[in-house]
Amino acid sequence: MQPEPAFLLHKRPYRETSALVDLLTLGHGRVRAVAQGVQRPGSRSRGRLQPFAPLHVTWVGSGELKRLRLMESTGSAALLAGEGLLCGLYANELLARVLPLELPGREVFAFYSATLEALPRPEARASALRRLELALLELLDAEPRFRDLNDGELDPQRRYVYRGEARAFETLPPGASQGLDGRTLRLLASGQWEAPGLAGPAKALTRAALMPLLGARPLRSRELMQRLAARRHGAPS
Amino acid sequence: MSFSPLVDRLLESLRVLPGVGPKSAQRMALYLLERDREGGQRLAAVLAQALDEVGYCQRCRTLTEEDICGICRSPRRDDGILCVVESPADMLAIEDAGGYQGQYFVLHGHLSPLDGIGPEDIGLDQLEARIDAEAVGEVILATNPTVEGEATAHYIAAQLDGRQLRLSRLAYGVPMGGELEYVDGGTLSRAFNGRLPFQSE
Repeated sequence: MQPEPAFLLHKRPYRETSALVDLLTLGHGRVRAVAQGVQRPGSRSRGRLQPFAPLHVTWVGSGELKRLRLMESTGSAALLAGEGLLCGLYANELLARVLPLELPGREVFAFYSATLEALPRPEARASALRRLELALLELLDAEPRFRDLNDGELDPQRRYVYRGEARAFETLPPGASQGLDGRTLRLLASGQWEAPGLAGPAKALTRAALMPLLGARPLRSRELMQRLAARRHGAPS
Repeated sequence: MSFSPLVDRLLESLRVLPGVGPKSAQRMALYLLERDREGGQRLAAVLAQALDEVGYCQRCRTLTEEDICGICRSPRRDDGILCVVESPADMLAIEDAGGYQGQYFVLHGHLSPLDGIGPEDIGLDQLEARIDAEAVGEVILATNPTVEGEATAHYIAAQLDGRQLRLSRLAYGVPMGGELEYVDGGTLSRAFNGRLPFQSE
């Protein structure tokens, strides 16, 4: 096979000197493979096989678990630190949890690499992550439809709460203060995810849309970020 | 052909050791049984005792059979500097390198959201309590230069934010005796970013 562009999502030790890796690849989606010998001290691939580093890989095997053959790094890993690093771990955890094995999705791959480039810049992080989440939702056919539960238009004057299982919005009683207002949702529906003031609603919406896919187990990297944020604001975590 | 049940069990048990497959297990077992029973007995006794008694130091969490380990008790060590490492092996490596006279704190792991390892699993509350209780002036974050090690360092730094202490991180660099041509790109670019003023003395 031709070398395939890939990113390492997760690596865990396997046997004594090998590792079980989850890769996000351009043409084959998420691929799970055994990387033999990479945990050996002094292995040259050990340093290469790191999250966020662009790789070219080939593998053999037709089952669910492949055997990683060639692995080359193509350029250096994004220098992530601090908050940006945690966001990167969030992206990795999300993909590893939600993306089924070997479901090809070129958009997800493209938005993932764009996210890695955006993460070192704090002001670019949120919108990059939203675009990745949206590409992921679209691939899994779970992106929000901007209609109410009866498939009616959203009213700009009303407030709504997203129901992930129905992929539609439930209308809240008049005067409700929670949820998202119809005007904001109309802006999001027209693709204006980066308009000023929409970062919060966009985040709430993708989170609600991802919820049914994630199931009961929360994302640990998000918990970690929330705990840090709580500490920073002096609130008890 | 197989050995008697007890010998077989011995072979099987030896294979819990890293790097020991069926062949090496057989060699070890036969050696102990045929050539060095006395050494085998010593090994068995020490192994049982160590597994029974060795726990974590209450102060730095390294492996020790005492409540407080030797380094923590030593009056010659500087209690004002605390070095946070991922494993007892890292602590030993720093000790062997020499030159460091401060104290340690061993995490026994690193933050790894994808493996479900959170701050409570690596004793970060204990670390914070210790720093608050003792007059620590500098904390050296010596977690590994991996994504998880970096995330751990970031979390600890954020946790300690607002306290009057110096936080430092081990420098990234080119290995001694290494040639630039063969150093990986990530290390090289970090070594470049972290370059130091030239000193001839």
